[in-house]
Amino acid sequence: MGLDYKLVLWNKHKKTYDKIIVLGMLAYLVLFFVLSFLINPELTAETVIIRAFGSLAILMLHIILAIGPLSRLNPQFLPILYNRRHLGVSMFLAAFIHGGISIFQFHALGSTNPIYAIFTSNMEYGSLTNFPFQVLGFLALLILFLMASTSHDFFLKNLSPRIWKGLHMLVYLAYALVVMHVFLGAFQQETSPFTMTFLILGFVTISGLHLVAAFKESKVDGLKSSVDDSGWLEVCNVNEIANNRAKIFTVAGERVAIFKYDGKLSAIHNVCKHQGGPLGEGKVVDGCITCPWHGYQYLPHNGQSPPPFTEKVITYELRLSNGIIYINPNGFSEGTEVKPLNY
Amino acid sequence: MLLVIQIFLTLLATYFIIGLAFALFFVFGGATKLDPLMKDSKKMVRVLLFPGVVATWPFLLRNLIRNKS
Repeated sequence: MGLDYKLVLWNKHKKTYDKIIVLGMLAYLVLFFVLSFLINPELTAETVIIRAFGSLAILMLHIILAIGPLSRLNPQFLPILYNRRHLGVSMFLAAFIHGGISIFQFHALGSTNPIYAIFTSNMEYGSLTNFPFQVLGFLALLILFLMASTSHDFFLKNLSPRIWKGLHMLVYLAYALVVMHVFLGAFQQETSPFTMTFLILGFVTISGLHLVAAFKESKVDGLKSSVDDSGWLEVCNVNEIANNRAKIFTVAGERVAIFKYDGKLSAIHNVCKHQGGPLGEGKVVDGCITCPWHGYQYLPHNGQSPPPFTEKVITYELRLSNGIIYINPNGFSEGTEVKPLNY
Repeated sequence: MLLVIQIFLTLLATYFIIGLAFALFFVFGGATKLDPLMKDSKKMVRVLLFPGVVATWPFLLRNLIRNKS
């Protein structure tokens, strides 16, 4: 949160993660170059560079796609999730170098426009085995450009979180295009079983993680609460919530976080206005509910960000009876003050 | 197929050319009208936003028009 936009939102932890990203990328590239020249000394330097950056990009894309479900399955992965934006931009740069050198190497030295040549140098669009795989890579690169270039809070705010999220969900389309690009490219140009095995293992891992995470979340959403005569839902015992923490419940189809702090209880909508982060996985810090993703804060009793910030979330009314918390499923409008429940 | 490719690439080029022109106007003027936080942001932030504005200009143009009206 701030009163202006920063070039990059760095803090001590983010700098550490960024150093790990850079060192990891460099280590991978060095290892790839050394192994390539040892195993295939006949390869040209351009080919090795193209393959090194291409394989680095697809490896990073797999890591990026795995971070979301892993952090839903185990909160220990959350710190990596907070740094995913920088990982995504770094992955785009690797893919851009791969694509740029490939276009220069294969299409820029002729008389035809290189972009036009990508689409027309191989016209076997009706063939499965000889399909022009470079087109798929080009389209994937366009999507990755769209995502990397809008990886800034300015776009999140001014495109609206819904549109921004929609654009960034295109990563799955980019992944499908990349898989087909590599699969067809490897199929047409080399017969190494390593590439195929990596792709299949990667696809199975990413699909499996998403399915397991979705199954886990469906169990939370499927929890049935008992309803009393006045329509309030019984949610849990007050002792089940740790101090300065929350528990998340699904109430009338919406996820709600019930926070326990300073001998009080408050309930707000679980979704942060910034980037849709799970507020219920955050903590109460300095009297404010703090989103675990990017530190956006809300006051527990009214769901409003402390002034001068203007974000607001829906608030809910709570009731306590014999140590059991009940919630009114009809939330108030965003930012409505609700007296905290003393326990 | 060649015709489809030509139409697609012409549309793509047109989209990016309009995006470039819009981005030049937007990052050095329109952005502040749309978002007050841009007023105190450094110039390098505007440069950083440039490629994203080229990519998403229809959304930002729509928001700018809505904001004006």
